[in-house]
Amino acid sequence: MINQTGISRREFMTRLGLLGTLAISYPATALADRRQSNTNHQLPAWLEAPVWKTIAQVQETLFPAAEDIPGAGDIGAAMYLHKAIENPNADGEDRDFIFRGTGWLDELAQQRYTRNFIQLTDKEQEKIIMETVQTTAGRNWVSMLLTYILEALLCEPVYEGNPDGIGWSWLEHQPGYPTPATDKTWDQLLQRRA
Amino acid sequence: MNKEYDVCIIGSGAGGGPVALTLARAGYSIVILEKGPWFTEQDFYKDELACCRRSVYTPKLSEEQHMIEDTDSDGRWVAESTSDSGWDFWNGNLVGGSSNLMSGFFYRLKPEDFRLLSEFGPIKGANVVDWPISYEDLEPYYTLVETEVGVSGHFTDHPFAEPRSSKDFPYPATTEHPISGQFDKACHDLDLYSLPTPRAILSRAKGNRRSCEYSGFCGSYGCSSGAKGSSRAALLDQAVATGNCEIKPLCKVYKLSSDNTGKVVSADYYDVNKQKKSIRAKLFVVACQAIESSRLLLSSTGPKHPDGLANNTGQVGKNLLFSAGGAGSGDFDYADMDSESAAVMKTRGPFVNRGLQDWYFIDDPLFGGRVKGGTVDFLLRHPNAMSKAVNAKWDGDELVWGRALQTKLKSIFTSSQNLRYEIFCDWLPTDNCFVSLDESVKDKWGSPVAKVRIGYHQHDIEVGNYINERSMKVLSRMGAKNVRSSISGAPPANLVAGGCRFGHDPETSVLNADCRAHDVENLYVTDGSFMPTGGSVPYTWTIYANAFRVAEQIKEVLS
Repeated sequence: MINQTGISRREFMTRLGLLGTLAISYPATALADRRQSNTNHQLPAWLEAPVWKTIAQVQETLFPAAEDIPGAGDIGAAMYLHKAIENPNADGEDRDFIFRGTGWLDELAQQRYTRNFIQLTDKEQEKIIMETVQTTAGRNWVSMLLTYILEALLCEPVYEGNPDGIGWSWLEHQPGYPTPATDKTWDQLLQRRA
Repeated sequence: MNKEYDVCIIGSGAGGGPVALTLARAGYSIVILEKGPWFTEQDFYKDELACCRRSVYTPKLSEEQHMIEDTDSDGRWVAESTSDSGWDFWNGNLVGGSSNLMSGFFYRLKPEDFRLLSEFGPIKGANVVDWPISYEDLEPYYTLVETEVGVSGHFTDHPFAEPRSSKDFPYPATTEHPISGQFDKACHDLDLYSLPTPRAILSRAKGNRRSCEYSGFCGSYGCSSGAKGSSRAALLDQAVATGNCEIKPLCKVYKLSSDNTGKVVSADYYDVNKQKKSIRAKLFVVACQAIESSRLLLSSTGPKHPDGLANNTGQVGKNLLFSAGGAGSGDFDYADMDSESAAVMKTRGPFVNRGLQDWYFIDDPLFGGRVKGGTVDFLLRHPNAMSKAVNAKWDGDELVWGRALQTKLKSIFTSSQNLRYEIFCDWLPTDNCFVSLDESVKDKWGSPVAKVRIGYHQHDIEVGNYINERSMKVLSRMGAKNVRSSISGAPPANLVAGGCRFGHDPETSVLNADCRAHDVENLYVTDGSFMPTGGSVPYTWTIYANAFRVAEQIKEVLS
């Protein structure tokens, strides 16, 4: 039997089996290749805005890259978050809260180091995050960013996170199928409720 | 208001589909008003964001909430909005209802479930009753569901088997996970009967529906192959094809209007453009799932029904039921296996398809006599990755982030397979579990929302604990590590019934044995609301079977 993607079930099961075998250890070389090929990519203009620079840096602190671990940049965390919270179908409260939080973070960074968050060293940034999560509002803010990071890590690549299934590979997660087409994403489907 | 239909059905899930198909085939004009959108196989993808993390299949809680009444630390009943708590009691507002999203663990009730009071006697504080029909009355319709909806499985004769009029299931069992063999062996060692679980999932094609394609993502997801026996895929598509059944999606019924004689004359609804409309019909069928069906009836006051439709003895909303008990799980560490065994254990797609009913009836001095027990269903941990990862960001009240989070994720995702079980006890109906209206809280259309009191009987916990202790031993026998469990009286919002119980006495029931309202001659309720007690299994097969049974009664009335 041929399914809608034109792949037989047997073939698909085989592919899944292969994926399971190949993904036993996420190869650092694949990650290195990926990072190398991405160096020439031009970043979107919105990512140059101070608020987004701060968000991207916080994401990297919360989900840092290592030789064999994809970091926030590798998994497209900022791209995913931008698409998610700038979506007109999204909950605008999340966007406001995340943006407001970057202001609090810079205030705290100024108080402690008289510099903005992105100007701090990695260690200083970690200390600021550690202090931030001691307050309820700060913990909620970091928690929300973590949720979006983890969604980016494991979402369908159509949402602009998890490019080429990098997060799935790292965690040896076998995704389901069929995967959503660009006109069948959650926000597209949600419009059918309206 | 133009056309008058023969039958207007409110809700298109497991309670509405059988009525629509039966009557459309018989040539009657049917209209279904469904609050949600009409998605098809072409709209269902294995997308965790769409299925489970955004409000695609259920309403936004900020726009439509429930008020959940639970006891506080002083034992007082306190209501909290689900928009504040995030505890979602919606289960699927779309054509086909939540049957689109079910796992399809299909169990029949047993003959004793129809006479719980006679069989086991009263329990103080519980409103246990016998049903007005017997297993024999429903059996032909259980069998009909096997072919119409499509139930796959393998019948094995065993001490707890309910009588069947057909020898085996019309579809062979779906492909099974290798862990099922290990489960069978452990049960054999423990002198338990490992039961193959029937599933409302096609193991081979049926009409336009393809066989299961074993993606491993089933429960909570819409089925893209059509294999899952949703009301939409299995019944409504056929009903529409007769030319006699019209489905109106995105139509939210807010009231059933009744005349001076007490009969329902129209279903009043907001259409897709949020305009108020009405539909007339000879006969009305309510099937909005238990909580919303009670809510609609309570909202539908009229000259003969000052306290709500069919509520002249104050029974609507009472004796709400949940199919609950508890759950447990255990880990099978890949590090303890050779690489080949680990690869086999990691298999994604096939089903476990095993359950235990050894404690469906418990005859133990601990309980002072024979009591009703429950079913245990075994399944692999849900494959949803984001929810698993997001849970990992917490360690108690502390956030985990950075390298610590990544190490934790890697371990959770790659170190073990997880087998879990769910216990389904016979939730005792009590005066502390019911639906009412909260006039102070309105949904986005301005209608009072349902307030749900979720009290449970302590007996349920005792039965749950009894079954749980024995279920854990199965996992241990299989070699699982970190076997843990939780028994609680918290209701699973997706397994709900009761509220409009059927019975012979109008003083203590809402519906008669045909599921027609005692005091409204042209009103039927065909979702799980009719159940006066729930049995110790998920409800869906029984809801389907009963709706087919009632459809035959309606057909007679219309003729």
